Amino acid sequence: MWRYVLKRVLLALPVLLGVSVVVFVAIRLIPGDPAQIMAGQAATEEVVRQIRQSLGLDQPLPVQYLYFLRSVVRGDLGRSLFNGAPVVEELRQRFPRTVRLALASMVVASLIGIPAGILAATRHLSWLDTLVMLVALVGVSMPVFWLGLNLILVFSVRLQWLPAFGYETWRHLLLPSFTLGAASAAIVARMTRSSMLEVLGQDYIRTARAKGLAERVVVNRHALRNALIPVVTVLGLQLGTLLSGAVLTETVFAWPGIGRLLVDAVLARDYPIIQGATLLIAATFVALNLAVDLLYGLLDPRIRYE
Amino acid sequence: MSVRSLLLVSVAAVLAVAVGLPAASGPATPAPRPGGTLIIGRGVDSVTLSPYASASPDAEVISHVAETLYQLTPEGRIEPLLAERLPQVSPDGRSMTIRLRRGIRFHDGTPFDAAAVKWNFDFILNPENRAPFRAILLGEVTSVDVVDAYTVRLNLRRPFVPLLAHLTHDFLAIHSPTAVQRAGGMRPPTGEPYGRQPVGTGPFRFREWVRGDRIVLERNPDYWGPRKPLLDQVVFRAIPDDGARVLALEGGQIHVAVRVPPRETTRLALNRALRIDRTSSVRTIYIAFNNQKPPFTDPRVRQAFNYAVNKRAIVQTVLGGAARVSDAPISPGIVGYSPIQPGGWPYDVERAKRLLAEAGHGAGLNVTLLHPTGRYVQDAAVAAAVQAQLRAAGINARLQTMEWAAYLSYTNQPVDRTPVEMFMLGWGTVTGDADYGLFSLFHSSQWAPAGFNRFFYRNPQVDQLLEEARAITDPARRAATYKQAMELIWRDAPWLFLHSESQVTGLRREVQGLVVHPTERVLAHTAWLAR
Repeated sequence: MWRYVLKRVLLALPVLLGVSVVVFVAIRLIPGDPAQIMAGQAATEEVVRQIRQSLGLDQPLPVQYLYFLRSVVRGDLGRSLFNGAPVVEELRQRFPRTVRLALASMVVASLIGIPAGILAATRHLSWLDTLVMLVALVGVSMPVFWLGLNLILVFSVRLQWLPAFGYETWRHLLLPSFTLGAASAAIVARMTRSSMLEVLGQDYIRTARAKGLAERVVVNRHALRNALIPVVTVLGLQLGTLLSGAVLTETVFAWPGIGRLLVDAVLARDYPIIQGATLLIAATFVALNLAVDLLYGLLDPRIRYE
Repeated sequence: MSVRSLLLVSVAAVLAVAVGLPAASGPATPAPRPGGTLIIGRGVDSVTLSPYASASPDAEVISHVAETLYQLTPEGRIEPLLAERLPQVSPDGRSMTIRLRRGIRFHDGTPFDAAAVKWNFDFILNPENRAPFRAILLGEVTSVDVVDAYTVRLNLRRPFVPLLAHLTHDFLAIHSPTAVQRAGGMRPPTGEPYGRQPVGTGPFRFREWVRGDRIVLERNPDYWGPRKPLLDQVVFRAIPDDGARVLALEGGQIHVAVRVPPRETTRLALNRALRIDRTSSVRTIYIAFNNQKPPFTDPRVRQAFNYAVNKRAIVQTVLGGAARVSDAPISPGIVGYSPIQPGGWPYDVERAKRLLAEAGHGAGLNVTLLHPTGRYVQDAAVAAAVQAQLRAAGINARLQTMEWAAYLSYTNQPVDRTPVEMFMLGWGTVTGDADYGLFSLFHSSQWAPAGFNRFFYRNPQVDQLLEEARAITDPARRAATYKQAMELIWRDAPWLFLHSESQVTGLRREVQGLVVHPTERVLAHTAWLAR
């Protein structure tokens, strides 16, 4: 298995290199000059030129890229063009907050999605099944902005139970993680339901029932474990999406995570932050995919890693 | 008349010219109560709290921590702050001597004196340090002398009267030289690492900054000024989403919400726990014509566009009244402002059509109107309204928008290369002096990309008047010169004159004594929280 892990890690290197090239070139191709933005709209051409020079933005692209790559290898992602802070430090501050939010949303998605999916599958074609799937449809379609603002309106403004922004305590986490996790919960519910339905139709389930096992045991012990394999895949991919796609939630709840950092950086053309953040997100995706693949083995002992 | 009394008169004249700008303090209330934490929610975080600052969210925080030699009151008056009195200008106008207050200490305990002032100005003046506002604020200053422990002299290239207004700017606030060195200095472009932990003489001391989230200031118990700070803490929180910021205000999690969207004001006005403050700002919004590109080379065409747009209707409907129709190229509250056409450029579609016909465009006109989205209050909606109104005069304007960073570069190309015809932009006269609002925009030496005349306006008479005004110490004559220049600009119509923005701020009822300054800063220096 360790050979397999090592192989996957080595395979990830060209992926990350590719990501870095694409991002590096793409952000420099879009119009908008960081030196101009930094100097403000009132700055003279002279000032802008000086800033561009001091940032090394007057060098040819390949030269800039090689400098960048050299620093990355040394573990240095440069400094933010705008506040001068080291990118590594910014990421170290911001990323854990987003991870916390994403993990909490995963918990929300699993706690709501999996039981809802099981419920729908075991009551297949009943009114409950229809209701769960309808709610799931609404959950997937609901804009994050709309849901977030409404949750704030009800729980922060009217009831005054939970804070509208901030990130320090678990109470701060409730509204944003529900907002972010709602769509994932819906996806997980639908996935669990269909996977569960498939498994429940298998021969070994009929055997289990024929043995006279209680339906609860059949569902929880025999069906669920096998039905969870595709659900784990979905959850793993969802976590990646949650980590990189938390921008809207982070904006609504003023959550200073990596999503907002990245969007602000794109708007300000803060190249080092954009490069650092996308590399980190890409690396996280790769790592998550690997983790999901390894999890299969735990859920299904037939799966072996070569 | 001595130079000093001249300056005193000039301040008095400024007072007379300035239009009353309401501060955000509420109606008559009980005696100020010390203590408490005031939380101000704003859309963005600061970038740096050092002389490398370049925007009002930075200036707003700096102003609480580090002070300037002079201050611009919300009414547009210039008053001494760290200086003892108004400066003495030499007879040739080429030096300015400033007496400083004694007995003031920085938050780190080191004394505030002439050496500290010189250190600060020398730092900004040194081109190697690349302070972004050096050229704009201190461009005419050649050197700074320490006359004695509490007197400094600024030497100028040429007489430059706007300098006094520039000295009120927060980017020229005096920071503790010892603290700068102790923090490890200031590096361009943003004054790191000192820029994260400023030390000044102000009513509040810097305490903590969690980037992207909050800046916390605490009361300076040893504040030197006559009006002591009352709040224990002032917290600036970054809440980027407009809707969420307003909800946080309604829920009582913040006390002040800056930049409340106009569409929310009617609803918030019904909430008895809240108050809405509208303070006009020094930011003028305009649509510039490319004055060197047909059909806009013809002043009749430019005037026709101005006649064709109903600015009053736009302010009332699109902006919910949160703006003031421009009656001059700059707005009230700026030293040197006077109304050129009270009520703004008249709305007269027939006249517009006639002018267009005279200019040979009777059959109609196709133009492209470029505008930002989300940079100014309701900018895209304003552009759409302008487009609709132009149609009535036979002008077919195609709207084009792009994201701000691209927009800035796109509109900043030299005259022989720029593709722009008409574009919307705003200008905040942050120095509070007409020079910055007029010279930087309308003087022909400022054509893009060297300066901010991105619409390539040139009128030799205007050039001359704007140059002259820089050296006139007599305030009445200076104001008259600016008036003359603005009259010419108005008649030439290099812009479609729109409006100046109001700052719409939401406050909880208990907030007292807060000042929303026309230079787009919320100031809590003397604020307090009622029970």
